[in-house]
Amino acid sequence: MAAITIEALTFSYPGAAEPTLDALSLEIAAGEAHALLGGSGAGKTTLLNLLSGLLQPTGGTLRLGGRSLAGVAPGARRTAQVFQFPVLYDRLSLLDNLTMPLRARGVRRRPRNERGRAIATQLEFEALGMADLERMRPGVLSLYQKQLLAIGRALATPRLELLLLDEPLTAVQPSAKWRLRQTLKAVQAELGMTMVYVTHDQTEALTFADRVSVMRDGVILQSAPPRDLYERPAHTYVGHFIGSPGLNLIDAELVGETLVREDWRCPLPAALAQRCTPGPVQLGFRPEWAQVITGAAAERAADAALLPAAVAGATVQGRDASGDYGLLALSVPEPVRVQTALSRPLPQRALLHLTQLVLFQDDIQVGLFSGGES
Amino acid sequence: MNKPYSNRAWLGLLPVVLIVGFSAVVPLMTVVNYSVQDILDMQTRSFVGFDWYRSILRDPELHGALWRQLQFSATVLAIELPLGILIAKGLTPANRATPALLILLATPLLVPWNVVGTVWQVYARPDIGLLGYAVNQLGITYNYTASGTAAWITLILMDVWHWTSLVALLAFAGLTAIPRPAYQAAALDGLGAWQTFRFVELPRLRGVLIIAVLLRLMDSLMIYTEPFVLTGGGPGNSTTLLSQYLATLAVGQFDLGPAAAFSVIYFLFILLLSWLFYSAVVSRDE
Repeated sequence: MAAITIEALTFSYPGAAEPTLDALSLEIAAGEAHALLGGSGAGKTTLLNLLSGLLQPTGGTLRLGGRSLAGVAPGARRTAQVFQFPVLYDRLSLLDNLTMPLRARGVRRRPRNERGRAIATQLEFEALGMADLERMRPGVLSLYQKQLLAIGRALATPRLELLLLDEPLTAVQPSAKWRLRQTLKAVQAELGMTMVYVTHDQTEALTFADRVSVMRDGVILQSAPPRDLYERPAHTYVGHFIGSPGLNLIDAELVGETLVREDWRCPLPAALAQRCTPGPVQLGFRPEWAQVITGAAAERAADAALLPAAVAGATVQGRDASGDYGLLALSVPEPVRVQTALSRPLPQRALLHLTQLVLFQDDIQVGLFSGGES
Repeated sequence: MNKPYSNRAWLGLLPVVLIVGFSAVVPLMTVVNYSVQDILDMQTRSFVGFDWYRSILRDPELHGALWRQLQFSATVLAIELPLGILIAKGLTPANRATPALLILLATPLLVPWNVVGTVWQVYARPDIGLLGYAVNQLGITYNYTASGTAAWITLILMDVWHWTSLVALLAFAGLTAIPRPAYQAAALDGLGAWQTFRFVELPRLRGVLIIAVLLRLMDSLMIYTEPFVLTGGGPGNSTTLLSQYLATLAVGQFDLGPAAAFSVIYFLFILLLSWLFYSAVVSRDE
């Protein structure tokens, strides 16, 4: 069990004008499953490689369980890493693959094979057709089995405190992803090591991790439990990146304590208004945070608190207990998407009652508020 | 689908049959023909069966040549293979000097074989050769025209100079093809330099090394020009290898019957050794 402390970590690739990681700080608790989420080029893998020691930081400090990792070789960090595509010793048996971290550290054959077999049992190799550990070689395995073998080998690292996974499921077909994720969670619950998991797939991050860090351009925009990322994004990019579709964003002007748009105005709570500077702001709302009011109700309720919208189209999104639900594409005039029941006929115009709003100024979240009672 | 059948299609094979016939089968059969007959001129000939084979296989000179040949091939392989890998490991792909070094390495491979022999013939001379003179100046008596051991060492050195580059270039190509994550995984598994070589690099070099061994094995078994120019097989028989002995029989003494029988054996011998090596390697894969 070891916590990770990252302080002002900076890394630049030789010859690069901009640092890949820029004064990044992060705390990961012991035994936590932490996901690094972001688009390509965000610096996720770089951060992982710095943790494992494959790269050396240009500045800042890294600590694992209180020990500084400066100058500690990758093999001596009590850290293991699983790569995007399984890396195995092709000419060795499954058992020799599993036990390589022990063999490299001079553990004798008998104890290391015992450990290898225990891991194989734990990861249920037998049920997956990988029973003949001593004679099978990785060449005959499927991609999923290979990745599982790579994970097994990582787990064999003596005194493992930190397991790093670099998009381990990218190469695996979707049906197997879920299974591998379950296995990983079970193993983590049992061994209690800290896990850092890199992915660009939000579903993967949100279902796997206790906390998720959303990264962009070498900076962590927000580290929070999945639910917080969804409900209280700290940055417009987080709101946009998390959720499918992402957070709707519309522009407004803060005048005094009132949000003003051309055809809409909404009073802000005084405490919140004080935290903002008057001027342009952005309002974010999730597709399910808006109620669509149409027809006669819309005519009646030409109320300032309701956002007028033109209907641009609708798509079937899925089905739940109440039947099909769809996403209504609206123009306010910014394009927004709102969740709605599909059974209703599509009107030309609608009003949106926003039940919940996130207020951003210069892309940074300044507060949350509910858009009033309907 | 019905394939159209026409026996006239066999005619399409005719050019190939003719070319292969004239280039391979006819010369080979000529040798076989000579090896079972005693031919004095076009009219005077007699069938001798396997007599030539019997006599040549009992020839102590041949036994000596064969033994030297095996020692020679084993020695050059044992030196060139590890040395080539070592040179390849020393080359870093990212280094700016590497392309120049690769060209330098490839140079011996481009030198015509008799030129290689001539170069070493001069280079190793104790009176005017840079190498020979320098070694003698160090107080070591070295004269490859007088001492069999010195001649043997010179021959090995020459072959190593000529052919190590081939192994090095092949191994370098193999090493550059190893993906970085393989090394990264090894580092995280805690593998040291030797273990990384053994478990990461060597298995991935297998393919190119098999080719390197096969090429060097076949080629070293057939070596003729360089030792012929360097020592002519001497002093005594100390550097007479199989092909050298064959040439002595066929061209020097004009013993065409025994020479033909020897050629057939020689050909089958190289084929057998290469096949043995290859099947031993391939069978391990199954």
